[in-house]
Amino acid sequence: MLVDVVMPQLGESVVEGVVVKWLVEVGELVAKDQPLLEISTDKVDAEIPSPTAGRVAQILAKPGETIPIQGVLAKIETDQGVVVPAPTAAPRWDEETEGFPGHMARKTEPPIPAPPRVEPSAPAPPPPPEAGRIRITPVVARMAAEHGLDLSRIPGTGIDGRVTRKDVEEYLASGQAAAAAPAEARPGPPPAPAKAPAAPPRKAARAPKAALAEGDRVVPWTPIRKKIAEHMVRSKHTSPHVHIFAEVDMHRVALLRANAKKEGMNFTYLPYVIQASAKALRELPAMNATVDDESTILRKDIHISVAVDTEKGLLVPVLRHADRISLKEISAAMDDFGARAKAGKISPDELSGGTFSITNPGSKGNLFGTPIINQPQVGILRLGQVVKRPVVIDVAGEDSIVIRPMMFLCCAYDHRVIDGVAGNGFLYRVREILEAGEFS
Amino acid sequence: MLVTYIEAIRQAMDEEMERDGNVLLMGEDVGVLGGAFKASVGLQEKHGPDRVVDMPISESLIVGAGIGLAVQGMRPILEMQFIDFISCGFDQIVNTAATLRYRHGGQTACPIVIRGPSGGGVHGGLYHSQNPEAWFCHVPGLKVVAPATAYDAKGLLKAAIRDDDPVIYFEHKFLYRRIKEEIPAEEFVVPIGKAALRKEGRDLTVITYGSPVHAVMKAARDMAAEVDIEVIDLRTLLPIDWATVKGSVRKTGKALIVHEARLTGGIGGEVAARIAQECFEDLDGPVMRLGSRDVHTPFAPSMEEYVLPNQEKITEAIRKLAAY
Repeated sequence: MLVDVVMPQLGESVVEGVVVKWLVEVGELVAKDQPLLEISTDKVDAEIPSPTAGRVAQILAKPGETIPIQGVLAKIETDQGVVVPAPTAAPRWDEETEGFPGHMARKTEPPIPAPPRVEPSAPAPPPPPEAGRIRITPVVARMAAEHGLDLSRIPGTGIDGRVTRKDVEEYLASGQAAAAAPAEARPGPPPAPAKAPAAPPRKAARAPKAALAEGDRVVPWTPIRKKIAEHMVRSKHTSPHVHIFAEVDMHRVALLRANAKKEGMNFTYLPYVIQASAKALRELPAMNATVDDESTILRKDIHISVAVDTEKGLLVPVLRHADRISLKEISAAMDDFGARAKAGKISPDELSGGTFSITNPGSKGNLFGTPIINQPQVGILRLGQVVKRPVVIDVAGEDSIVIRPMMFLCCAYDHRVIDGVAGNGFLYRVREILEAGEFS
Repeated sequence: MLVTYIEAIRQAMDEEMERDGNVLLMGEDVGVLGGAFKASVGLQEKHGPDRVVDMPISESLIVGAGIGLAVQGMRPILEMQFIDFISCGFDQIVNTAATLRYRHGGQTACPIVIRGPSGGGVHGGLYHSQNPEAWFCHVPGLKVVAPATAYDAKGLLKAAIRDDDPVIYFEHKFLYRRIKEEIPAEEFVVPIGKAALRKEGRDLTVITYGSPVHAVMKAARDMAAEVDIEVIDLRTLLPIDWATVKGSVRKTGKALIVHEARLTGGIGGEVAARIAQECFEDLDGPVMRLGSRDVHTPFAPSMEEYVLPNQEKITEAIRKLAAY
């Protein structure tokens, strides 16, 4: 069949073109895209490729002749009558190809796909800052990696407490990095005399950078609050806490309390738990210990730190030789601590030397909680609220449901030092003593 | 010898015209009047009207004629009466002057210098306060310089005149008569492409050029008790002395770029991007920029103060970065 070779539109405003020169003759065999002729317009000069393979059948325009767009220039006879789609043959100079004279062949290439049009949606709100996450700059990240530093140990002086390069340099210069290096990295000198590892010095309090709404109150930390905060963070950071729970039937203790009351003695549950714990510690001494550097010191005496709430914050006076004193003496000591703590008359000496801690949040203490170890001790016991509950007990070989005052005890132990057997054995023993009412 | 910034410019042109007979000066009112700012005062009397040529008010013509002369072996200095109007000669600069060497495969050169007063702070309004240096820093084939001192004004202009490629020389009109400086009486040239370390410091690097160099130096002195600032005066904006910038930022870990040109699309963006890319692991704070607000320079002095980077804004930016 005959395929037309037409004058292409070489630009939006181009309406005609002039034939400059024919490159083929009638009767000649041509390949697809082989240049057939040169044309000239007022914008560009170009070669017109053959729209198809075949034989040039007719040349219809002479050199110098002006031909309008789509005007037929020549006809090509295709081989063996094979139908060649003609429309693509007429190259159209469009926006994609305009300005690149002689690049007619580009029309045979697949068009460049347009990038997907995605309208940007409103950006998601930034996630809330993670508590305790440290923000650092690239140089600090690099220095931390180079020196193997734990950045949480370096006090930051930048905006929002950011650790700056200067902070890292000062920290390295102070030699604290070496002190905090892993144990195997240094020869093991004998443990230093009992002294808690010094926390890195903190800078003076800064004004908070948080946005304040009307009515908000800024409460700067008091020295005791700072001490508590520092201690809590250090303890959680130092000791891998394991928390275990025992559900204790306080039936016997309740009866003993009632009897004591008849004798004019008003005991809370706390003295019983203290005495039970002291007894258990005497029998199973692993938990009556403190940690010093890389040693555990098993303490001979049992001195129990007891948490006392005051307006200014928590105080933890020490009940000495708790295994040697009577319930009455324990109870009296508790009353004394409470009164003097409120009056601010606990001396610093009374706060040190504990070997184990007990915390009793009182009648509003809820079912249970997970206490934080009082460093450098290795264990702490927390009393839950005593609640009456139906429980199944054995009455003369028969399962019976009775109402009993029940309490959850939570014991936290330092898993660096205390293994599961010792920790669980201790709490189990406390429960046994309380349930059996083995008091002196 | 004690000279003003503008006198340093006049001396450079005078000495170079004396040294090389191919050097000539062309521009509006450069001859009989001696220049709108008197930068060429006395030069026509001394070197004659053939070498100090008053031109019509057509920057395109001034640049175009200069290019033609340069191709023929002359070394014309082409003055824009205000650098704001360099845009009228833009095509001649970016399409002709900048491309000549490339188009001819290195067989020809275009030794022209285009110079003129730039910058604000003189209540000149929007047509007489611009800092269009960034437009030209986008063009290969050009060199762009912006001196801040009388020494650099003289030394860089001499280097520009002797350079075989087109150099755009931004002089700052605020500094013309405010700078009085002792410079050597003997011949000296300041090489193109070398920054000046104006002050050494440990805490942060301020990279600047042109008029703000002086405000930054004042800040460095005033704030010496709280922060130890290193100050780099780029002097040449194309090509930038990257080795000096990189060395300083790697040392201090913090970078602030200060220029009087508008912030968006300014040189500061290019410097900041390069620092972010090549000094990332040395950065101890965000790379910061201070420039004019993205508006035209207003005429009212109070509004101009609001738009330009003044002493107060520089101090505040330094303090913010130092605290990071």
